[in-house]
Amino acid sequence: MKFEWTKENKKEIEDILTRYPTKKAALLPILHVAQEEFGWISPEVMEMVAQELDISPAHVYGVVTFYTMYNRKPVGKYHLQVCRTLSCAMMGSDRITSYIKKKLNINIGETTSDNRFTLNEVECLASCGTAPAMTINEKYFENLTEAELDKILESLE
Amino acid sequence: MSTPLAKVTIDGKELEVPAGTNLIEAAKKAGSAIPHYCYHEKLSIAGNCRICLVDIEKTPKLSIACNTKVTDGMVVHTNNQKVLEARQSVLEFILVNHPIDCPVCDQAGECKLQDYYMKHDLKASRMKEEKVHKDKAIALGPNVMLDQERCILCSRCIRFCKEIAEEDQLCFSERGNHNELTVYPGKKLDNPYAMNTIDICPVGALTSKDFRFKQRVWFLKEVDSVCPGCATGCNIKISHNKGVAYRLLPRQNEAVNETWMCDGGRFTFKPTNAENRLRHPMVRSEGALKVVRQEKAIEDIAKVLAAVPVSSILGIASAQFTNESNFAFWKFLKEVGVTDFYYQALEVSNPSQDDYLIHPDKNPNRAGVEALGLKALVEDKRYQLIFILGDLPSARLQKILLDRQRTVVVFSSHEGEGVELADIVLPVPTWVEENGTFTNKQKRVQRILPAFSAPAENKSVWEWTSLLAKACKKEKPVYQQINEVMADLSETIPDFKGVNPDKVGNQGFVLMS
Repeated sequence: MKFEWTKENKKEIEDILTRYPTKKAALLPILHVAQEEFGWISPEVMEMVAQELDISPAHVYGVVTFYTMYNRKPVGKYHLQVCRTLSCAMMGSDRITSYIKKKLNINIGETTSDNRFTLNEVECLASCGTAPAMTINEKYFENLTEAELDKILESLE
Repeated sequence: MSTPLAKVTIDGKELEVPAGTNLIEAAKKAGSAIPHYCYHEKLSIAGNCRICLVDIEKTPKLSIACNTKVTDGMVVHTNNQKVLEARQSVLEFILVNHPIDCPVCDQAGECKLQDYYMKHDLKASRMKEEKVHKDKAIALGPNVMLDQERCILCSRCIRFCKEIAEEDQLCFSERGNHNELTVYPGKKLDNPYAMNTIDICPVGALTSKDFRFKQRVWFLKEVDSVCPGCATGCNIKISHNKGVAYRLLPRQNEAVNETWMCDGGRFTFKPTNAENRLRHPMVRSEGALKVVRQEKAIEDIAKVLAAVPVSSILGIASAQFTNESNFAFWKFLKEVGVTDFYYQALEVSNPSQDDYLIHPDKNPNRAGVEALGLKALVEDKRYQLIFILGDLPSARLQKILLDRQRTVVVFSSHEGEGVELADIVLPVPTWVEENGTFTNKQKRVQRILPAFSAPAENKSVWEWTSLLAKACKKEKPVYQQINEVMADLSETIPDFKGVNPDKVGNQGFVLMS
């Protein structure tokens, strides 16, 4: 895969840059643009971003590895992120995770061989009232049970 | 306009410092040393190590001294119970995941973690959990090794690369317990100033690939000198033990190199330890150089000096040798009537250079030989007898040498091309073993002191020329010690007027003209 900014990306980056006092300050939103476009932040993308912002690749690398929401490996079409923080843990998030692992036959951090599903554990999704919770891509799924999971996974293309 | 002063009381001592001085520097002046890891006077403030916490009256909590500027009327305690307890706790935190492998760590003996632990913590670990393990013995670049477990994440090296070397090559990756120092994957820490990160690393995380495991630092002795690598003349210290040089470290001189030196300069001591050092005087007989007693070498030189007309004698000084060596060489030949002089210099094609410390002229003393009134060698005439300081490439020497009945006298420290055409060779010390001065590009005369004496029958140029002067029945120049050479230089050469060991000191003295 070749990583190149699209015309739309370039316009978006330009737009973002107008909102920050320095180019360096726009690093986080521009990484999000990259992740949305390419699905993950590859080393090539880190260097592209560094070049775009006149900063060193080392600085970009430090930032990308600090924040957990930047994917450093390609993810599947559906990125399942199960909350494992206190409330969800008390409401059985580990059972949810184990069930998904078994059903999709993958471990945490892995992607199914058909590239459809990636499973990850994350910290608090701020959905404690409806624990256990997870997100699939941008969408929230709450009050999870094993039966509920079957329905959700079947509904996904 | 002078900076307004602020009155501050530190540990009961009242003093005035320029407003805006940070508390670590102010406390230094008050005689209180505040421990610090991440703070470095030449780098931006990070404030992340927390060991410099101090108690400022009328503030509810302890403050970090590095990022607190002195204000008028401030009362600071750097050693009360509250501060000592905080320091102990900070050390305990820093040591949570530190491997405490001092017995095999190269930094042991000059480690701030060790020093502060002995002074401020000194208690057993309360950690029962397994420590976080990280990678060890990583070659970050050609000269720097990293042990990620020892790193206390102070970020001095990162800031150095960004702010001084201006090559942002290092960063912290990951976070929390897994936070670690690294280069960008696939890249190297290879800027020309990279080894300074080893010096400023307060612990044993960054070590020198060349120096590590060679010596325990407490066995090393140090002597002040000047790097001979280029015309900048960075002030340095030579670490040595039992007649072997082990490493060079930068020494502070704000007018020259601040507190830094380049990586290239760090290896300039290597030839001193090399195998091909010359140990004894040699004279050519039956085509080959043979070791002779020094009296024989001196006699032979005196004989040939008496036999050759002075108009056919040339003296070639060297921008690689000290002011004193060049001066004694020139003065001796002048006394015996020689009138033709040049100097030779190390010529490098495509020399490394930048706009900071790395100067394209790879000679430590060109300004010095030029101040003696000497000109760079021009091959415009042939001579019967040539005296040379240092190693002149044979091709150049061929051009100024008569075909027959010729004699070449070389003062050199190493076997090699420089002595190929020599008829008489006198062994001389390298800069590591030499006592004298170099004049850098700013015309600053800077002192080099000998780390140890040169091997076997090596003598400084002025010692050889003193013997030669006696052999030629001259009263001058005969010196007993280096200070006499310096005094004579200062009296004889107008540019060096006023130069003496006291004035030169350890920070140098700039020539007037």
